[in-house]
Amino acid sequence: MILVEDVYKRYQTDHAPGKWVLQGVSFSIPPKLNVGLIGANGAGKSTLLRMIGGVDQPSRGRIERNCHVSWPMGFGGGLQGSLTGRQNSKFVCRIHGHEDDIPERIAYIQSFAEIGDAFDEPVKTYSSGMKSRLQFALSLAFDFDVYISDEVTVTGDAAFRNKAATAFRQLADRSGLIMVSHGEGTLKQFCSAGIWIHGGKAYWFDQIDDALKAYKDSLST
Amino acid sequence: MRSARTPLAITLSVWKALFLREALSRAFTGRAAWFWLIAEPVLHVAFLMLIFATARIQSVGGIDMAIWLMVGLLAFFMFRRTAMQVMNAVGSNQALFAYRQVKPVDSALVRAGLEGFLMAIIIMILLAGAALFGLSVSAADPLGVINAFLGIWLFGLGFGLVMSVAIELVPELSRIIHLIMMPLYIISGVMFPISAVPQPYRDWLLLNPVAHGLEAARLGFSLHYHSVPELSVVYLHGFALVSVFLGLALYRQFGLRMVTQ
Repeated sequence: MILVEDVYKRYQTDHAPGKWVLQGVSFSIPPKLNVGLIGANGAGKSTLLRMIGGVDQPSRGRIERNCHVSWPMGFGGGLQGSLTGRQNSKFVCRIHGHEDDIPERIAYIQSFAEIGDAFDEPVKTYSSGMKSRLQFALSLAFDFDVYISDEVTVTGDAAFRNKAATAFRQLADRSGLIMVSHGEGTLKQFCSAGIWIHGGKAYWFDQIDDALKAYKDSLST
Repeated sequence: MRSARTPLAITLSVWKALFLREALSRAFTGRAAWFWLIAEPVLHVAFLMLIFATARIQSVGGIDMAIWLMVGLLAFFMFRRTAMQVMNAVGSNQALFAYRQVKPVDSALVRAGLEGFLMAIIIMILLAGAALFGLSVSAADPLGVINAFLGIWLFGLGFGLVMSVAIELVPELSRIIHLIMMPLYIISGVMFPISAVPQPYRDWLLLNPVAHGLEAARLGFSLHYHSVPELSVVYLHGFALVSVFLGLALYRQFGLRMVTQ
């Protein structure tokens, strides 16, 4: 259960407080529900995801997470360039309190990512495809109640894409998912409910199709 | 479902993970980084000793020049390295703040801890090396030495904490800090005894808490040392504690701003 209560958010610019990105957003997400966030670029989708993930704080209002929520997956962060893939994986295991079963998790990550010897090379030498493989494998190695995914686009060759898509579908069935995506097909495939963010407000739709329709209507008028 | 971990357990596991991550990159980033970690202060001390020996200075303030120089330099390094590491802590861990368990202040505190640990190793290696050359390195007042180094380390941490936030708010400050590090080396009394400076200028130099730390460390090594009469370890510790608290408060207020946007 994730509770978002009257959340306001604005960022500090160089000179003054910036304009409000979110103004009074409230909703609650029941457990095991897959929700898609829809809105124009810059509407505040990623901001909202980051706040749900606990990486950022609302300027006003409150967010409650009564379950294990993943880190915001897929925005390129979370990997330290100077460390190898293995060291990064160990770090993530440790901060999530999995000190004792590091070897098993590392083995899982290594076998899922399929990046070969590069697993022991610094992440800064990785191609973007290898990076996203590692990130994807990392996020699958932990059991969260809710996953938050910010435009996770699985790159890589066809074989990996298939494997990743299957894993992602299993994950979406098993636990809750909050995702941002501009791909209508992806949203329809994974999400049942939708939140449309527009003008600093959030509108809840029980059906993702209604949310997509509202978003499209707002574009045409 | 796993039961929720306590905040303390989370912080401790984050500190452990960060400590290992920092230690790894300090020791193995670049060719033989672990060697330079130790060689740099050793060469620095050796170079200054060579200059002093060439100038035929055998003792300073009543104690052996080598001990005087070595202890002073190590104490100064303790400050400068800790302060610099803490100042750059948030910038060099930027990618890891994607995990909400890792807070900016964690990286700063862990870096200070690691630097103190490394300096302790370096100090022991240097003292052991000096003992092999026949210098008398056993401290007359070991607790006094530890106390002085602790004060300097704490001040380095506090200075680094305050400055890292200040630089975030006023980026121009970073130029000024790099500018003052060189004169600070001189006015802290690394290369000349502060007790040789006449009043009223001595009082001005002694506003700098690092100078107190250096003198206290030397006095701890040899009780015959003619330290500055105004020496006050309490001043150093007071300064250190105030700066650490100010730094922590600043992190509480502005820490998040350093990693978002």
